[in-house]
Amino acid sequence: MSLKREIGFVLNGIRTRATVPVEMSTLAMLREIVGLTGTKYACGEGECGACTIIVDGLSTCACLMFAVDCEERTLTTIEGLVRDPVGEKLEQAFVDCGAVQCGFCTPGMVVQAKHLLETHPHPTRAEIERGIEGNLCRCTGYVKIIDAIEKASRNGAQGGPR
Amino acid sequence: MKVIEKESLIGKRIAKLDAPEKASGKTRYVHDLDLSGQLYARILRSTRVHARIKRIDVSRARALPGVHAVLTAADVPYQRPLGIGKDQLPLKGDKVRSRRDEIAAVAAESEAVANAALALIDVEYEDLPPLTDPAEALMPGAPVIHDEKMPPQAPHESLKPGEPGDAEAHRHNVAMTFDYAQGDVAVGEAESDVIVDDWFRLHYVTHCCMGVSGVIAEFDPSGNLTLYSNTQVPFLHKREFAEILGMDPGRIRIIQPPIGGGFGSKLDIYPFEPICVFLAKATDRPVKLVFSREEEFVASPTRQPVLLRLRSGAKKDGTLTFRVCETLHDNGAYTSWGATTPFVMMQTISSLYRVPHCKYHTTAVYTNNPYAGSFRGYGNLQATFAVEQQMDKLAEALGIDPLDMRLKNAQDPGETTPQGMHFKTCGLKDCLTQATAASHWREKHRAAIAAQKAPTRYKRGVGVASMLHVGGGAKIYPSDGCGTILKIDDFAHVTLITGASEIGQGSETVLAQLVCEELGIPLDAVTVVNNDTDITPWDVGVHASRTTFIGGNSAIGAARKAKAKILAAAAKVTGLPEAGLELRAGHIVRTESGEALMNLAKLLRSLHFSDKADLVMTTHYYEPPSHHQDKAFKGDVSAAYAWATQVVEVEVDTETGVVRLVKVTGAHDVGRVLNRLGIEGQIEGGIVMGQGYAMTEELIVQDGIVRNPGFRDYKLVTAPEIPEMDIHFIETMDGEGPQGAKGVGEAPAICVAAATANAICNATGVRIYELPFTPENVYRALVAARAEKAAE
Amino acid sequence: MPVEQYWAPASLPAALEHLRGGDVTILAGGTDLMPQSHAGRVTFKRGLLNVRRVPELHGIAPAGGGIRIGALCTISELLHDPLVHAHFGILAEACDHFASDQLRNAATIGGNVCNASPAGDTLVPLLALDGEAELASKADGSVERRRVPLADFFVGPGKTMRAPDELLCAIWLPVPPAGFTARFFKFGTRPALDIAAISISIAGVRSRSTLTHARVAFGAVAPVPMRALRTEAALEGTPLDEAGIVRIAGVARDEVRPIDDVRASAWYRRELVFNMTRRMLDDVAQA
Repeated sequence: MSLKREIGFVLNGIRTRATVPVEMSTLAMLREIVGLTGTKYACGEGECGACTIIVDGLSTCACLMFAVDCEERTLTTIEGLVRDPVGEKLEQAFVDCGAVQCGFCTPGMVVQAKHLLETHPHPTRAEIERGIEGNLCRCTGYVKIIDAIEKASRNGAQGGPR
Repeated sequence: MKVIEKESLIGKRIAKLDAPEKASGKTRYVHDLDLSGQLYARILRSTRVHARIKRIDVSRARALPGVHAVLTAADVPYQRPLGIGKDQLPLKGDKVRSRRDEIAAVAAESEAVANAALALIDVEYEDLPPLTDPAEALMPGAPVIHDEKMPPQAPHESLKPGEPGDAEAHRHNVAMTFDYAQGDVAVGEAESDVIVDDWFRLHYVTHCCMGVSGVIAEFDPSGNLTLYSNTQVPFLHKREFAEILGMDPGRIRIIQPPIGGGFGSKLDIYPFEPICVFLAKATDRPVKLVFSREEEFVASPTRQPVLLRLRSGAKKDGTLTFRVCETLHDNGAYTSWGATTPFVMMQTISSLYRVPHCKYHTTAVYTNNPYAGSFRGYGNLQATFAVEQQMDKLAEALGIDPLDMRLKNAQDPGETTPQGMHFKTCGLKDCLTQATAASHWREKHRAAIAAQKAPTRYKRGVGVASMLHVGGGAKIYPSDGCGTILKIDDFAHVTLITGASEIGQGSETVLAQLVCEELGIPLDAVTVVNNDTDITPWDVGVHASRTTFIGGNSAIGAARKAKAKILAAAAKVTGLPEAGLELRAGHIVRTESGEALMNLAKLLRSLHFSDKADLVMTTHYYEPPSHHQDKAFKGDVSAAYAWATQVVEVEVDTETGVVRLVKVTGAHDVGRVLNRLGIEGQIEGGIVMGQGYAMTEELIVQDGIVRNPGFRDYKLVTAPEIPEMDIHFIETMDGEGPQGAKGVGEAPAICVAAATANAICNATGVRIYELPFTPENVYRALVAARAEKAAE
Repeated sequence: MPVEQYWAPASLPAALEHLRGGDVTILAGGTDLMPQSHAGRVTFKRGLLNVRRVPELHGIAPAGGGIRIGALCTISELLHDPLVHAHFGILAEACDHFASDQLRNAATIGGNVCNASPAGDTLVPLLALDGEAELASKADGSVERRRVPLADFFVGPGKTMRAPDELLCAIWLPVPPAGFTARFFKFGTRPALDIAAISISIAGVRSRSTLTHARVAFGAVAPVPMRALRTEAALEGTPLDEAGIVRIAGVARDEVRPIDDVRASAWYRRELVFNMTRRMLDDVAQA
């Protein structure tokens, strides 16, 4: 029987408590205990970015983070971006620019793009490419994903107060 | 008087219907589905490459709390063989023939318990000598991989020539052979002024869909089976499952959740799906089985590796005379679609550019390596790599410009090839001209040759390659058709029920677009239903770049029937002749003036709520006018054919071997652009997949073991590495295609490697006949060439 | 083996006390521990010690004629730190080449150093910059610290001189002397998400057309990231003309001990070492 620990953290703006096995990853916690399936498993070793979430303002791979390490931290997943002004602009841009095909990499891309725009409000295409270098996509060839992030940044989708 | 102009959706940039849901993370893929009471399954795979199974002890695993079932072959005596070769049982009982072989399966309360149970299963093996080289497997005295006493199976019903080998062939480890001939190659050889003869080695890569393989199986109390499966061929799957399980196909329902990538990986049945069904049967619970990424690398099908010898010739004026091609296909331990890539390869060998005489042979050999399935391009990448490199070599030997050589031999519309393919439309010459003009190919090609000898570190070069692929389906099954059911409700909302599956490529959106074009309604007035075999009509499946063409024509057929019914009713109501009426923007209008006469929804309601109440519900089954090939592989197998030419510009760092893909300029004969946004996305994605095949991806299989089963060492292209892309569309307006369109799904991946090979040779003077062009492989080739030159 | 105890202490003495008990796995960024344990390559010990809240492990600050980098500093923090940019450019460069944004935000310098991967991205510049590891333990009841030069710290693949009851607290880098110049090169088949095929750092004090106080370090060409002492000796004070550079590059190629693996062959690694050392020295000579 695995040792469990009760933790408290802020998830998508809501104070949350969860009881997690200490060996569990944040990805498994989100999907299996909290029940949010938007964050995807695609490799489990931080190589593909499909599980990207934002922790205390920085993007990271949920599959590499211990769930117990979420204690007293602030997490944002793709589900939390739906009411976020930058998130909304990004999601709309992904739709408009044809940046979604099978869609499996998309949540991780959008979350990473959100973090990128918070730190680089007007990125060049080269900066966007570097910004998403940790997110693999097998369908799109990345071109329209880069288009979408660029478009969202031009629509005033940078960080700052609402 | 309200006037409505004709507005067409064709060629516009249309957002995918499911994009908003996917962009917000709400889409539930099979991995995200949970059925009440479900158990979690894991498979125990062989740790040996070739061995007899002496003993399997599952007692400790069965005793683990939380374990509901542990199955081995002994527990499922009713299991039947699967795959096109019918040479593989889902659970292996007597022998393992590869490292991915499935030996046991567990269903438990959680994945963690299932994993723990696997560790408690003891297997005793008796090792057998592994065969990991197809050439060795052919030698007399080599261990026989399929020595089981299975009676020779009848060939798979859907397969015509190229039958799986029988027991006699198996004794020599031969899985399948293919032979094709046109004309007389002896005549061709005699007519040639130059002949080139080379060996090419094409490697293992794998699909790497971002969503790993997964399935959920559930029996209802009456014994009906529901499978939540990511298959690309649901109706074929249904049929085959029935055979494997000994069930009535009518009691199997396949529901397709949104898929995390396909690319051909889900065209065959793989053991994990029937195994999941066995567990569901044994436990009376829904069972969910999801691969880990490592398992995905180890146990999924690969692209077909090929050792290929090509010999081709030309006259001194550049006319091609003959091609002779022999290949050795490593069939791996079991036969899947990879063994049938010769169907496609021989089309390219015989018909990419005009070739009067041709001979083709493949031997597919059993080994203890992983087996290959179908993968976007289906053998065409491999064949084009050889053909297009030799086009450059022939041109060089003759002192003819490589572009002129290609143009000289390019076919024209109306031609029929010796293999029987009839090119009703053919944009090959336009593709060649446009791609090379837009990329300044000629000047760059000449400049690079002049600069080859200069002692600079970085060298630039350009390479050109074209491709030919089916663009209107491929009649390899008894039917290549697709069924559609269409209904319009009282509010002019259409439900389009199609057999054509959506695998992320945007077919659902294109089908809706075509229907909206016919019925003059907006895209948000269409719902597409495409993912439940209990509801949708038959379609053979997503392969051969067929969905837009065949699914599209099927949808148009149903929409036109609906339109006819509506206009007939409108004619009655308005007293105007049907021929002068049209549907635009949700209204019935006078065609000539655009005058809006009636609101469509209103007309539909009046049709419904009347004395002769009627609804508008139509159906259409479209079978393309193509033909099955005869036993000699000849026939007009597709309703249309597609071409593309790509020019690749590279920069080679001669001190490290790093090749940077600077730019890809492509011209694609697509018939007609339907959804501009969607087609661009397909081409961009295909180019990058081709780039991966050419440059960075390699599944390293040594001694039958996959050495790099993860993204750390299996390198997919990342965003900073993509080339600049310049894409042109050639619209040849195919008469049979929906609104003139032809298929494009596979095309953009097919000629990248060939063009890159030609570009590297242009830049450095060194031609490389093996893939991938990793820095080390390129560096070795450059060093070897330097040494050879020094020795001369 | 499942974990039986989990601690997340807020002080160094408390953390060291747990370590003293033995049979403990240390959790820092977790970016290596999680996937390794998932893949079954590492099994957890009885105790899991999360050191994130220990204050001594954080921060980048000038100290003792150099800078002290807390073990928990992330690669991103290093990448964006003005002190690192000002004085230790090759470390910033190595951090820029590290994996991806997501991994840079979570991976720690301490984790990198303790994992002692032969290919460790950040370790090669740390060696060329004469880095030292600061270790703490509580062996006799009170907190004791010691410093070990990184050149001696890596003893084998995945093995360091850290004792099981010691915690790596910080990395110290001395401020380089006047005239210091350095170069970093990382080779991989892609810019990100790559475990280097090879990496190289060359540093020293520029004096006319030579380098003195020469430091040369290589990654992914030996069981540990290595200081190439023979190459340094060949480089030290040697005029950097064409012939000299070729000779030094040759010494480097012969000094490294690469193996064949799925990423590259030994032969290719040696070729890269020769070609790239030569390029980097050309660059130094022409600067």
